[in-house]
Amino acid sequence: MNFFDKLQHLDRRWIYLVVALAIIIPFLIPFNQRTYTTEPVENIYQLLDSYKGSDERALLMVFSHDAGTMPELFPMEVAVLRHCFLRKIKVFTLCFTPTAEPIMTMAIEEVKIEFPDIESGVDYCNFGYKPYALYMPIVLGMGDDIAEAVETDAEGRNIAELPIMEGIVNYNEMNFVMEFSASSAGYMWYTFARARFGANVAAGITAVMAADQYPFIQSGQLVGILGGLKGAAEYEELVDIFAAHENEQGEPAPREFSRAIVMDADEAIDITSDSVPYEFKKARLGMNAQTVAHVMIIVFILLGNIGFFLQRRKEKRMG
Amino acid sequence: MFKRQIPLMIVIILGFIFVAHSFIPAKISQDFYFEWYQPWVKAMSPFAVILGIMSLVMVHGTKIKRKAPNWPYSLVIFAGLIATAAFGFIWGRQAGTPYMWMFENVQMPLGATMFSLLAFYIASAAYKAFRARSPEATVLLIAAVIVMLGRIPLGAAITHWIPDSTTWILNVPNLAAKRGIALGVGLGMVATSLKIILGIERTYLGGGE
Repeated sequence: MNFFDKLQHLDRRWIYLVVALAIIIPFLIPFNQRTYTTEPVENIYQLLDSYKGSDERALLMVFSHDAGTMPELFPMEVAVLRHCFLRKIKVFTLCFTPTAEPIMTMAIEEVKIEFPDIESGVDYCNFGYKPYALYMPIVLGMGDDIAEAVETDAEGRNIAELPIMEGIVNYNEMNFVMEFSASSAGYMWYTFARARFGANVAAGITAVMAADQYPFIQSGQLVGILGGLKGAAEYEELVDIFAAHENEQGEPAPREFSRAIVMDADEAIDITSDSVPYEFKKARLGMNAQTVAHVMIIVFILLGNIGFFLQRRKEKRMG
Repeated sequence: MFKRQIPLMIVIILGFIFVAHSFIPAKISQDFYFEWYQPWVKAMSPFAVILGIMSLVMVHGTKIKRKAPNWPYSLVIFAGLIATAAFGFIWGRQAGTPYMWMFENVQMPLGATMFSLLAFYIASAAYKAFRARSPEATVLLIAAVIVMLGRIPLGAAITHWIPDSTTWILNVPNLAAKRGIALGVGLGMVATSLKIILGIERTYLGGGE
């Protein structure tokens, strides 16, 4: 039995071992890779960035996943929150599953460490967990009056009395909704909030389900999608290049989105140094592992196919 | 008799009301939703939690009582339910509370472990299944390799054709197939909904006829 014959009958535990090593080693020895951004992610970044500093514009982040999909979705949520805090964009968070509530709290707390001046109820508001039975009434109710539909935030405060609500009434102001989910992200929002009230909707979704969302991007029902770890890495990179940009003196100097700057190789962010805090480069570090794992799988597929053809040729010769 | 007719009447009447509400943007329709339906659902939703807990207690209580196979796991479910609820009620659900400790040290690692197994299964399945046995299988194999390369920075570093081809695969053949499926599912949902609203489809009432 030659090498390729052995490959045809390879014990799957060897594949598991190679995949495990391909994932673990890049985390232990991080390296820099150029993160190429795509249009669906750039569209989300640009729309959200256009809300900067406005009292009459806000983003709603809907967390619809549990801890299992955190490695892919959590870096996106952190990157979007960081973008909001850097650019003074009002942001609300909401979830309809109890398992998503701690994730929401963790995301806010993780980003707040870098932004000690950000205040709950002023710069952001966590609407907290609402029972799933209220999903539809809240989605439709917010088209009329957000304060009336949601009533209280996670801290039990009356939303109508919070400073963040000045200038915010319904989807006319809270004009952008992003749902993060492991499966059908954004479905309820583009079906009801977009179709009836004109809200802009985007989805953050796991890589395995991202292909399902492309029809909704083409139809204009979704502004864009953050697909899996790659989508998260792209958003992290855009935030670093534009919103978190610093001048030569190290002072904050955010700049407008430009495709030319994205394409400039000198603008690539070094993720192996401490210049970017760990929590804001998790997705890009994860992409190292994803790269090695994908290459290993492709190598296995190629070797498997070579073995398959050699075996078939041998069988034909033997008649 | 009323056991079936009354629920059927509720479904038919409310079904038509909600169809009317969705397609008639008149004030009376909006008032119905925001002033009657919305507060009513808010008052009703806590009962769903009670129903859920009752169902859980009945199913797992019976398992423990009868010493059914794997009954000790039912004890773990009760312990988890009581501990999580107690931590949340007593100390709240903010960062630094026992509730969050449970989430970070029990639920997160368990959830991540379950989902991470997918990477191993996908790798193993890809190796075993992606063989160029037929023209169709070859197309699938080539598409999979292009998309796998296109979703990592290495693909773009080799040539821009790889991410461009990935985008084309997702935006053209993938989109066409997904839209076809979505339209089929959508039409099926409309047909089933109409059958339920008109009282033709009654299997959801249970009992069987």
